Amino acid sequence: MSRLIDPWGRPRWLKLTTWFYIAWSLLPVLAAIVFSFNDGRSRSVWQGFSTRWWWGDPNLSVFHDPIYTNALVHSLELAALDMLIATPLGFLLAIGLSRWRGRGSGSANFLMLVPLTTPELAMAVSLLLVFTQLTIIPFTWIALGTTAQVIGQVTFSVSYVVVIVRSRLASLGPEYEEAARDLGASARQSLQHVLLPLLLPAAFASTLIVFALSIDDFVVTQYMSAGGETVTIPMLLYANARGAATTPALNAVATIMVLVTLIGVGGAYLVLRWFGHRSGDKDAAGQMGMDLTGME
Amino acid sequence: MELTGGEVELEALEKRFDDVVAVDSIDLDIASGEFFSLLGPSGCGKTTTLRLIAGFERPTSGDVRLDGASLAAVPPDRRPVNTVFQNYALFPHLNVLDNVAFGMRYQKVPRKERVRRAKEALELVELGDYAKRRPHQLSGGQQQRVALARALVLRPAVLLLDEPLGALDAKIRRALRVELKALQEEVGTTFIFVTHDQEEALSMSDRIAVMHEGRVDQVGTPREIYEGPATLFVADFLGVANVMEVEVIGRDGRGCRLRVGTRELWSECGDLGRTGAASAVVRPERLHVTPGAEDGENCLPGMIDRTIFVGSNLQVMIRLANGGLLQASVANDGVDLDAHEQGTPVSVHVPPDALRVLAPSGVTAGT
Repeated sequence: MSRLIDPWGRPRWLKLTTWFYIAWSLLPVLAAIVFSFNDGRSRSVWQGFSTRWWWGDPNLSVFHDPIYTNALVHSLELAALDMLIATPLGFLLAIGLSRWRGRGSGSANFLMLVPLTTPELAMAVSLLLVFTQLTIIPFTWIALGTTAQVIGQVTFSVSYVVVIVRSRLASLGPEYEEAARDLGASARQSLQHVLLPLLLPAAFASTLIVFALSIDDFVVTQYMSAGGETVTIPMLLYANARGAATTPALNAVATIMVLVTLIGVGGAYLVLRWFGHRSGDKDAAGQMGMDLTGME
Repeated sequence: MELTGGEVELEALEKRFDDVVAVDSIDLDIASGEFFSLLGPSGCGKTTTLRLIAGFERPTSGDVRLDGASLAAVPPDRRPVNTVFQNYALFPHLNVLDNVAFGMRYQKVPRKERVRRAKEALELVELGDYAKRRPHQLSGGQQQRVALARALVLRPAVLLLDEPLGALDAKIRRALRVELKALQEEVGTTFIFVTHDQEEALSMSDRIAVMHEGRVDQVGTPREIYEGPATLFVADFLGVANVMEVEVIGRDGRGCRLRVGTRELWSECGDLGRTGAASAVVRPERLHVTPGAEDGENCLPGMIDRTIFVGSNLQVMIRLANGGLLQASVANDGVDLDAHEQGTPVSVHVPPDALRVLAPSGVTAGT
């Protein structure tokens, strides 16, 4: 009897594999975070706890060394601009696409998703060519640097907004708008008084996702950059990860990245869950989870 | 809520979606203050007809008139017509009171007046204590009543109801049927009620239009369409109908003489105006089943094939001598079950006034 497999037993191997994977994926990140608190210059040998690389050192800590502070500020700048442009733009596109029936709407719907699947490197290289080689009017105005970086980030992040908003629109259906029209609201009023309030959770979620995308982005931002003024944190990490002169301050920067992204995505999830709870739509947060897994 | 008007006319109304004809040239006159039902199976065009009246769809051709005026160029928000949606479509971001008050802001009703009227409407549907709740905190039946209040508070000339009881369970549905009819009588508004549930339509309506494949097969009072179905489809869709393939062999002042197999029957209702192949329908509750091989006028011999006990009555399936099957309903007034055992020879009396002659299946009435 003891040699037989118990059909009611817990799936021990499944559990073990899962935990192994979690450890495998998280331990390196944890190690990097831990070493940002190292007392010495080493990023591999533990020499005691200190916060010198965070703020203690007056010249070399993250919050004092201008290389780090500039990158931090520029990253946040880009993220803010991306959020301000991509979210409303994505909203309009999503609402427009959901109403567009007939010729061309199918292709447009499909083409909207292409940026999600295009290799980022391909997109970055094409954008670079367009901005530097094309001598036609709108493109000659765009110089590499902050402007090009923002345009590049908006170009790919807008698709994510469209996906989030459209899935929310699809789950809402046309009923609420029809009910509003039926009760006397004009097309504009039904958008303003019914549809937009109902899309509010999607707005928050999109904004936070765009933020996380922008803060995280390396390829497009790197290609669109122009000199030291336009270096972001991911660019800094890439450039210095292998340098012998690099201090644990870099680990501190990486830690900030992890935290900020986590806050973005986690915040989006919590906001959706809260809204969902308030309106009895228990699916809203799960829906976002689906959207995100669909994207990555 | 004193109301006049609310008379709806549909004139050769037609709606096509690409190649599909959803509504096929419908003509209907709905009187002011009437409880009018559009009854039919799913896909028969009843909901599209409702949406054409509400203004959510534009007719391919034809017109909708309200009190004589065409609504063709009037968008849904300007039509004095309100809808109770199948899933209510209560705004989840507003509480019950704000849901009910929603429409009045576009009628430029002052804020205080809006609140007063919304509360009044909630009282009317007995939900006065639920004003501050969110829609999802209410039961299905309560949500349905909020949707009613939200539409009625605008004092529409016509209220459109799209299967409003469809999402509720059977017991609540029966209770709300009575309530809805009482409410309609109280407010006096024209109700146009879409349903696929024949019992619902029969129990509430002043008149019913039975729809089938985009067309109206018959319009009449519940009794008219139940007892005098104009087509086989109507006969079959409302309740249970026994359909027999017959031949009309003669017509005179009394009615039609029909041949069923080797037997002959009188029919006193329905007349195709000709002799030849026809269908004859009779309701199960109108058949009289007597044991033994009695042989009178309008009697058909048969044998009990199966008896199903359903509480208030017995459903008796009778195999006729000519091979056909008839369903009879025998009231359970202490009836002897053994007398309805399988294999018992019986005689089925078909009263001539219950046997209706219709165009045979596959042929449209009037052709």
